[in-house]
Amino acid sequence: MSNIEKYNNIFVEVFGTEPSVLNESFSKDSVELWDSVHQLNLVSLAEETFDVMLDPEDIMGFTSYAKGKEILINQGVEFD
Amino acid sequence: MAGVSACVPENVVATEEIDLMSEEEAQVFNNTVGIKRRHIAPDSVCASDMCEKAANKLLEELRWEKESIDVLIFESVTGDYKTPPTSCLLQDWLGLPDTTFCLDMPMGCCGCLYAITVGGNLLTTGNVKRALLLIGDTALRMGSMKDKSRVPLFGDCGVAIALEYDVDAPEIVVDFHTLGKGYEALMTPHGGFRHPATPESFIEEDFGNGIVRAPIHTLINGMNVFSFAISKPPRSVEQFMAEENIDRNEDVDYFLIHQANKMIVDRVVKKLKLPVDKVPYNLEEYGNLGGASIPSLMVTRLRDELTTAPQRLMMSSFGLGLSWATMSATLGPMTIPELQYI
Repeated sequence: MSNIEKYNNIFVEVFGTEPSVLNESFSKDSVELWDSVHQLNLVSLAEETFDVMLDPEDIMGFTSYAKGKEILINQGVEFD
Repeated sequence: MAGVSACVPENVVATEEIDLMSEEEAQVFNNTVGIKRRHIAPDSVCASDMCEKAANKLLEELRWEKESIDVLIFESVTGDYKTPPTSCLLQDWLGLPDTTFCLDMPMGCCGCLYAITVGGNLLTTGNVKRALLLIGDTALRMGSMKDKSRVPLFGDCGVAIALEYDVDAPEIVVDFHTLGKGYEALMTPHGGFRHPATPESFIEEDFGNGIVRAPIHTLINGMNVFSFAISKPPRSVEQFMAEENIDRNEDVDYFLIHQANKMIVDRVVKKLKLPVDKVPYNLEEYGNLGGASIPSLMVTRLRDELTTAPQRLMMSSFGLGLSWATMSATLGPMTIPELQYI
């Protein structure tokens, strides 16, 4: 499974959504379900999936599909 | 460490009894945050009262002469008065000699590890031999009773720890960190000298989501605290174990994690890949006890183990400041009286 598939699966698991709806506009502002608990679940799964430990700023900043990807890229995760 | 004791109020409040929460919300809270009950003191009982009771019981069982106590540290953010230091009151109540070096420390959830470090270092000078560390809070009363983000989290407790100079005692290794720029995550905006209490300090504001409070009340910025608690402390524990060559599976008997809430502790355990049978919890019964949290685990969950044989403990605490600390210590056998009630 590629990293982008793993990343998408995190959102599928947390929000129960279809991978097809995941794009740059999928964010805290556009998704009604996206509250602090969902955000922390996203972060937890991302840390486990990619074996990284995020800083508090990154956890707070994980507010969209796009930003989450950017944070993981900064942690050395490669999305081809 | 010659002994540790703890005292909690008799009054127990179940989550379902908290007016701010519906039955359904209480269930969700119990299942996620994990705090099902907490011991809450009446307004007439302060942290110092619980610490006094815990200390008297401990000194009695240790058979320590009160004249032999050289140092008294009171660690709390809920002291009796703004002045004088509560440690001075406790020196009198406990009947300790006037030569006792008294000190108040308001360090919050890391308070136990700070108190052990300061008390322990005083003992290593060789000028003093015995220290009594009293750690406790009545944290619920610091906040608004209409703040749903805070009311269900805390319980009240006072503990006493007896430290004694011993040339043969194994080392206690500590690691402390501070992130002062995060201070606003856990704070009481008014009532200090930056913002003295004025009539406007008591004007309540509705922040939504069941949070109604005034500037005189202590606040928790949940998301900031959570993101801090699940990132900085586990990273430090990981580094600590690497630097000290500690194998988490072989070298440690128990990991004592500050009992902030189940979500945080579970997350720390998972991140550090700790063996779950070595991580005791007591938050379901007592809630977040602030600085008393870690020693309360010794009394309520590890009493048999610590009274009979040495145990190597790894401790991790985190809280206001923001501050976080890791401590490794081989403790026991020691005196641990039964849990006291007030």
